[in-house]
Amino acid sequence: MDIKRGIWLFLAFLFSVKLLITGTFVFSADRDGKSMEMKKLFPLKIGSYQSDGKDEFYDRQTAFRYMDGAAELYRSYGFKLLMVRRYAKADHPPIIVETFDMGSSEDAFGVFSYETGDEEVGIGQGSDFGGGLLRFWKGKFFINVYVEQEAPSTKGDILDLGRTVADSIKQEGKKPKLINLLPNENLIERNIRYFHHHQSLNYHYFVSHQNILRLGERTHALLSTYASQTEGKIFLLLIQYPSKTLAAGGFQSFIKAYMPESSTSKTIKTENGRWTTAQFHQKHVIVIFDAPSKEKGEVLTQTTIKNLREGK
Amino acid sequence: MNKKNRMITRRDFIRGTVYTTLATSLGLGFSNEKDIRAEEKVKVVLVRDEKVLDEQGRIHPEILQKMLDQGVSSLMEEENPLQAWKKLVRPTDIVGIKSNAWNPLPTPKELEAAIEKRVLEGGVSKKNISVDDRGVLDNKVFLSSTALINARPLRIHHWSGIGGCIKNYIMFTSTPWLYHPDACASLASIWSKPMVKGKTRLNILSVIRTQFYGRGAHSFDRRFISDYKGLLIGKDPVALDAIGARLLQLQRVAHFGEDRPLDTTPHHIFVADEKYKLGVSDLRRIELVKLGWMEGALI
Repeated sequence: MDIKRGIWLFLAFLFSVKLLITGTFVFSADRDGKSMEMKKLFPLKIGSYQSDGKDEFYDRQTAFRYMDGAAELYRSYGFKLLMVRRYAKADHPPIIVETFDMGSSEDAFGVFSYETGDEEVGIGQGSDFGGGLLRFWKGKFFINVYVEQEAPSTKGDILDLGRTVADSIKQEGKKPKLINLLPNENLIERNIRYFHHHQSLNYHYFVSHQNILRLGERTHALLSTYASQTEGKIFLLLIQYPSKTLAAGGFQSFIKAYMPESSTSKTIKTENGRWTTAQFHQKHVIVIFDAPSKEKGEVLTQTTIKNLREGK
Repeated sequence: MNKKNRMITRRDFIRGTVYTTLATSLGLGFSNEKDIRAEEKVKVVLVRDEKVLDEQGRIHPEILQKMLDQGVSSLMEEENPLQAWKKLVRPTDIVGIKSNAWNPLPTPKELEAAIEKRVLEGGVSKKNISVDDRGVLDNKVFLSSTALINARPLRIHHWSGIGGCIKNYIMFTSTPWLYHPDACASLASIWSKPMVKGKTRLNILSVIRTQFYGRGAHSFDRRFISDYKGLLIGKDPVALDAIGARLLQLQRVAHFGEDRPLDTTPHHIFVADEKYKLGVSDLRRIELVKLGWMEGALI
């Protein structure tokens, strides 16, 4: 073996070992670039808090090391890179800022929409604060700001810091276009969920442990809730597939598994006395769950289809 | 469609035709009780003591030891705890105590110590006992173990519904992410790996503190931690997890006034029963023995 070949083999060996240890290609040029972009996104000093200078970065492969199986939520969207920065202040618990580059504003909104049970505090393009945790989205970024140990001053500090971080992101982003198709009457806007995978659907509304609607990373789905005192809660599921053929496949699969006894109208009264109706139109599938009447389900479906036709 | 590949939809729960662990995560009720013969039931012991946590939230080691002894004695049907432990481990055993190191809610150190104490008193030498979680694949005791004791806290888990006994063995594989698809449905398959298979003598779900709901990047929020002050003890990891899933559901109902869905249904418990035959997930086939303080026990 000549010396040159030996050196190459040795370098290849070192790279393989590194790969085995880290389980991923460490710091590709692309990731380096994104890391630098995120580092510069926010100031190192915010009020009397100062970054500890130990930013950590995790990508789709390494995020498990930081957050265990919880990483799957972010991976179910277009998550690219996570930066974890700790802001320290004397005699105060450090404030942790987790910034997720979600790849698109739609997916930043999506991961934010996953849980919105607390207070909207007017930070970023949508926010939720409770239990010492601030969650918000702006542009393609989704951000958590929190402390590990709460103190009396915590809430004010978290909100101030969060506001500065949000203001540092200059570019706003758009919510998924599908939202424009939803009927407006009695819609609970804060309960609109946007996702791609069936596990997310099941989190908000269990349909089946199997993927009977054939959801996946290329499908865009919204689950919206309609509520009124007279009609109770009604759920509208709107899915956009990549093609008409795939939409038809998802629709047929759902009908076969969920409502096999339905007639051509694809409407049934389920065992809880409520109505489920399903339709597909072009690349879209619309399912109404728990409508109080057959007519109500059809009204919601037809309004959505009308919005689709009008190209809203 | 055969039983293994049976498709379950929301309508099955509404109809009440499914009453397994999956139902416990959804709060949609159980079917009418059918006759279940007593000999088919598996035993799970719940021990609680209201004084196991002091006013600062610290665990009282002596009380925890007593709870463990009560639970193991009841499970093994021995009055003397030492005799009960001697039924579980032999002096010649090499014992791995599989713990859980997840920082926000780890296996309590006091519980690890209480288990180790009794294993030592059972005649196992100190060098043949180890407590570990993330290092088990490199741990000489675990690598040559003849017996395992599985001890972890009960909590919800983002991708598997709950983190219980079955999931605690994920560290026995070097590729945990391969078990994440379909809400970690295949977790029970890890229990048939040579390093694990047939070795587990005892499972303990620490319900001293439970996490019944999650939020945020790490799916952790202190508001959703309950001081339940108990231990669930049994030989069947599936039965323990089924009871655990039910408890977490009831805690959510108690806290929120209604059930809130888990991030995902813990159907890996159901699959562990139906497909991998690791244990019993049907709550009707589990005999829950309750010992000690039972105020607010919920189950």
